[in-house]
Amino acid sequence: MAHTRKWRALLIVLGVLLWSPAFAASEYGAPLTLKDVTKVSEIADQPGKYLGKRVLVEGMVVEVCAKRGCWMDIASDRKYEKIQIKVTDGEIVFPLSARGRNALVEGVVEEIAMSFDEAVEYARHKAEEKGELFDPASVTGPQTIYRIRGIGAIIRD
Amino acid sequence: MAFNWRKWNAAVHRDLGYLCFGLTIIYAVSGIAVNHIQGWNPSYTFERERTNIGPFKVKDDVSDQDVIQILARLGEKRPHRSFFQKGPAEVDIFFREGNATAVNLRTGDVVQEMAKPRPLLYPMNFLHLNHPKKTWTWMADVYAVSLAVLAITGLFILKGKKGIRGRGAWLTAAGILIPLLFLFLYI
Repeated sequence: MAHTRKWRALLIVLGVLLWSPAFAASEYGAPLTLKDVTKVSEIADQPGKYLGKRVLVEGMVVEVCAKRGCWMDIASDRKYEKIQIKVTDGEIVFPLSARGRNALVEGVVEEIAMSFDEAVEYARHKAEEKGELFDPASVTGPQTIYRIRGIGAIIRD
Repeated sequence: MAFNWRKWNAAVHRDLGYLCFGLTIIYAVSGIAVNHIQGWNPSYTFERERTNIGPFKVKDDVSDQDVIQILARLGEKRPHRSFFQKGPAEVDIFFREGNATAVNLRTGDVVQEMAKPRPLLYPMNFLHLNHPKKTWTWMADVYAVSLAVLAITGLFILKGKKGIRGRGAWLTAAGILIPLLFLFLYI
């Protein structure tokens, strides 16, 4: 009888450990080192000024890579605008539960210049990830996007 | 009485093996799941539901009250966490657990995306990918060191032909050569 109780207690402890909301982590990658937040709108307005520089940005997480958690978009301080945070696959994995939460992200601003074909492929990939129909006509030419190569992040409510 | 190191070696290997069993299974299962991340999301399943609530007029920017009304039209009773207006007529509404609802205000088209954590795999990946950080990082380090101790003590469990001086040597060498071969091929 005592033996059964012990096993039951052990299972309960294991269950609690595995499911506990206390494990709801909010820190990803390396610890943040910067103190001053750069506005996303500033980076969007003057990407050349920030290219290759380490920045700290803050905003609501509005999209997360559904498959690998290898990128997330955070909303800008300016309406309708957002910026992508890209991390190396597997090194940092952003959870889907981050959507709608606030993120503080440190990383390096980078430029991705895409040819027309690459831009079409990129848009097709994004549409597939979201389960949306892809319209090739939505891409009209080569594209250059600016994103942040994420180093560390804190995501909180 | 002489110190019997082989007996201690076996005892350490045995007890550490018992201790590491749970986490080894968790890391093994999660490892396979995460290895094939190209083809699926190992932590969540997704369901997408499309519906239409009719055009929804807003004065200027979408407000919290507008979102509450949209959710009422949808018959959605869960409180929303936040929302993002991604365009003049498009708004994404977020719920806990990462669920999101995309609304086109002009057409009334709605896509409700429900992400559900996979039973067992979600907490396994959570630990394996070290999402908890903090104390779990130390636990994972202790586990990694324990695996190294298990590997080393395992070499000296058996004596004789099947031990490290016989067949064990060949198998150990093969185990070292396999990753080296792949490094040579891919780097």
